[in-house]
Amino acid sequence: MEQYLNRGIKEIIGEFPETGRILDEFNIGCTACSVGTCLLKDIVEVHNLPYEEEHALMLRIGRVIYPGVEVEVPRIERKTQPASGAIKYSPPMKTLVDEHNVIKRLLALIPRLLEGLAVTREDDRQLVLGAVDFIRSYADRFHHAKEEDILFREFGEDLEIVKSMHEEHRIGRGHVKAVIEAVESGDTAAVKEHLTAYGELLTGHIRKEDEILYPWMDRNLSTAQVGELFRKFAETDERFRETASRQTEFIRSLEKQFTCEEVTNHV
Amino acid sequence: MFSGCPGSKTADFRTKEVQDDAPAGKVQSQLRQWPVQLHLVSPVAPYYEGADVLLTADCVAYALGSYHTDYLKGKSLAIACPKLDSGQEIYYEKIKSWIEDAKINTLTIMIMQVPCCSGLLKVAQKAANDASRKVPVKYTVVGIQGEILQEEWL
Ligand SMILES: [Fe+2]
Ligand SMILES: [Fe+2]
Repeated sequence: MEQYLNRGIKEIIGEFPETGRILDEFNIGCTACSVGTCLLKDIVEVHNLPYEEEHALMLRIGRVIYPGVEVEVPRIERKTQPASGAIKYSPPMKTLVDEHNVIKRLLALIPRLLEGLAVTREDDRQLVLGAVDFIRSYADRFHHAKEEDILFREFGEDLEIVKSMHEEHRIGRGHVKAVIEAVESGDTAAVKEHLTAYGELLTGHIRKEDEILYPWMDRNLSTAQVGELFRKFAETDERFRETASRQTEFIRSLEKQFTCEEVTNHV
Repeated sequence: MFSGCPGSKTADFRTKEVQDDAPAGKVQSQLRQWPVQLHLVSPVAPYYEGADVLLTADCVAYALGSYHTDYLKGKSLAIACPKLDSGQEIYYEKIKSWIEDAKINTLTIMIMQVPCCSGLLKVAQKAANDASRKVPVKYTVVGIQGEILQEEWL
């Protein structure tokens, strides 16, 4: 069993598809992950299941990998006790979760933004470019920079979980680039395809960070590290103050535009 | 039924089984400064500059067996009793000065579970809210038998 603990989850699921279904049952959504390089042992640790549940999960995975053999279930080492109740974030993590909430407001608008879109029309072109500008300046340069340049470095770049978050940022950037190219060539279908894919990717990405990654990081940060992160994030906020307020204002106006349109359409 | 202050209610746990398997040898003190009482310290003493500060209610260190190694280690300290100390307006000013002048990194408040102890948390919370600079503030509530009942960032 030990050797499988240090293998990437996509590989394990590839070899033993049943393990993916078992993980799903425990609300561990690795089958849907676009990257899947996390190690089995990290996944188990990071999800912080109560010990009995962790044991049950490992027992079932062990039985799939070694059918007919009574496997000995190793206990995954972790530094902290399983938490109970609602997620409480440390102040620096809370600022990242608040930024996710702003990003999620844009993601929620994407389907409506794409309805009846034709990038050959100037208004529609500007609408898409506005959303792209938000994604690039707020979600990527401001928020992802905090993650990549500050937070992830605290944990080391070679950690598989950190690598898979980096990879999702990279895939997201690819979609955004494709949207811009499609706007330039007037290809509405490609705009729709890549903006939808971006929305789906980021929705899952944010959920992983909010529910799994950040709580795990919080459990492993020292008090001194929390203070350091808070200070560095505040410096970034200061540098991006104008961008952040302009982009939040953009989201507000976009929300207003779409709700007004709906109201008029329903009258 | 006991009707007085829960903070002074008598409890006797002499019969509690205590594990005596601690590593042999003297436990090292993690204290890095003197004085420690909040009235006696200067908030801008060098050991507070940029530090992770631990503000502990007096009784905590007696209840919590691993106080030195698990909590005091690496931090700068002040102690106070929100129930018995006088002149607590000065406490508010000193906590604010830690944040604004000594530019501390974080503030951790450790109190006992008894209701009167939350007074210390309230003073610290108000000082942190009113301060012009912001720092992460955490609090830990300790039970009278040394159990950690709550540990949370504000
Ligand atoms: Fe991210
Ligand atoms: Fe994020």
